[in-house]
Amino acid sequence: MNTTAPSTVPGTVPPSGQRSPAAGADPAGPETAATALHATGVHRQFGSGAGAVRAVNGVDLQIQRGEIVALLGPNGAGKTTFLDLVLGFTAPTSGSLTVLGMPPKQAVLEGRVGAVLQTGGLLSDLTVKETMSMVAACQPRHIPVETALERAGAAQIAGRKVRKCSGGEQQRLRFALALLTEPDLLLLDEPTAGMDVRARKEFWETMQAEAERGRTVVFATHFLQEASDFADRIVLMRAGRKVVDGPVDEVIDTGHRTVSCVWDGPGTPEEAAVKLGLPDAVAHQNGRVRFTAQDTDRLAGFLLSTGLAHDLTIAAASLDEVFLDLTSDDATEGTLT
Amino acid sequence: MSTTVSPQIQQRQYGQQGRHGRKRSRLRIITAFAGWEFLRNARMVESTFFIVVLPTVLYLMFGALSAFGESPVGNGTIATYNMTAMTVYGATMATSAIAGSAALERQQGWGRQLGLTGLTSTGYMLGKVLVALGIALMPIVVVFTVGSLTGAAFDEAWMWPASGALALLGAIPFALYGLAAALLFRSEAAVSGASGILVVLAFFGNLFMPLSGTLLEIARFTPIYGIAALARWPQLEGTVVSMEDGGAPISDPLWAIVLNVVAWTVLFAAICLVASRRSTRRG
Repeated sequence: MNTTAPSTVPGTVPPSGQRSPAAGADPAGPETAATALHATGVHRQFGSGAGAVRAVNGVDLQIQRGEIVALLGPNGAGKTTFLDLVLGFTAPTSGSLTVLGMPPKQAVLEGRVGAVLQTGGLLSDLTVKETMSMVAACQPRHIPVETALERAGAAQIAGRKVRKCSGGEQQRLRFALALLTEPDLLLLDEPTAGMDVRARKEFWETMQAEAERGRTVVFATHFLQEASDFADRIVLMRAGRKVVDGPVDEVIDTGHRTVSCVWDGPGTPEEAAVKLGLPDAVAHQNGRVRFTAQDTDRLAGFLLSTGLAHDLTIAAASLDEVFLDLTSDDATEGTLT
Repeated sequence: MSTTVSPQIQQRQYGQQGRHGRKRSRLRIITAFAGWEFLRNARMVESTFFIVVLPTVLYLMFGALSAFGESPVGNGTIATYNMTAMTVYGATMATSAIAGSAALERQQGWGRQLGLTGLTSTGYMLGKVLVALGIALMPIVVVFTVGSLTGAAFDEAWMWPASGALALLGAIPFALYGLAAALLFRSEAAVSGASGILVVLAFFGNLFMPLSGTLLEIARFTPIYGIAALARWPQLEGTVVSMEDGGAPISDPLWAIVLNVVAWTVLFAAICLVASRRSTRRG
């Protein structure tokens, strides 16, 4: 019980390129070996009849071991319900779902899945360390409590009563609890909600270290910035469905860029935009003209060669703009890969 | 993406059995959980005071130090009569408080946190039942011990464990009582409120002073009356102790006592059932 598994020895962190799924490495078969999560046509409906809420409405998703996946979507997109299904708190109304090649509940009972829950309550009468010891005692096996506290950056608050911990400190405790079993799959439901900027940064740094130990990490978030900073892959949900699924760079690239310039004419920028097939792409701001487009190189080339504009600035649309674009009601559905 | 398998991942796949020592059995997990819960409850000073200290002090005041303490009543003394009453009071306080707080903890998300461990929901329930019985046993043991040293006595030795066991048994329906309060009102105030009402019920249960007349007629239909009469059965066999002299001694038949206990248990359970259906309707 007191020995730390070799995979957790500091200094043996594999280069991030090796965090790849270990396809076919297990004699038990590729399914159990490489797949952390496998969902096929998963539905979860609350209530029935006209008032039924389809919280998860037909999700197909396969996550390989070692992947870091951001689950993105606006409030009510079904992220939390989906995580509840993965944790076995609730069963799919239809469809099939396996976690590490077994039913979700079993994976949790064996300590193979850890989670930081948005709604995970703590007992206010216990200290941080007592909470850890009590939960550890309920696990089939676990690493030393001190080690988990250390890794979650909660060692210095070990003696503090939970009721005296700030929101960020309680979140660290939840994180330390999730690390106790050395889970293969770590689920985080908006882990940085309520944290200030610094706590947020520190949290992701510790999380990065955990990911480098080879864990599969799936986290739900509102912020595309967090997703792009930390994840390899983005799964975007809207109204209970998966609408986008692909590597971070590709997802962000689907967002538009802007070309801002000083307009020389002749003609108005709007006329030029229509000519280029970019209606509604023009905005005026502080005497400058801003075009929004996907192929900004072509646009810039056109503007410069025709002498219509000068003093060009090309910028990527902000991540928030991309997010709003992807989650808006008229966004196209489909996968990118 | 590289296809190299990192030694870490390989280790994780092949080395499951030896990962962190021997795997704990379900039973060991439940006992460990119950142990922690026992520690938590025992160390909450406020509740331990009401569950253990207060009944003991009340017994000393009204039983041991009473002028009639050693006067014989049934198969024991006045002190014995008071002693049993106080164990019933302490034990019901214990079970209702623990069941109530257990429900609140679950509602406040601690259940989800434990849902991520090797403890099953059945294990959770079982652990809590063990703890509630363990805590309810504390006032019984303490008050009986103090009683045996201060003039409480039964005519026969078997009556001690029999009275104690009946007091413990009678406290079980009050776990449902505490649970019902928590499920209905979902707040800590409701659980403490339920404890407060328990004091009134204890008065009608004939625990603090022998009732007579109209009060006694009402009391017969209240929940603690049944379990108190049951716990006192070894001593009194149904006889109702009265402070007034003269008149024919009143007595409750065993069937009436059992009916009271069963009826209230069913009622408490029904309230719990309805309340929990309501609270989980969303799914």
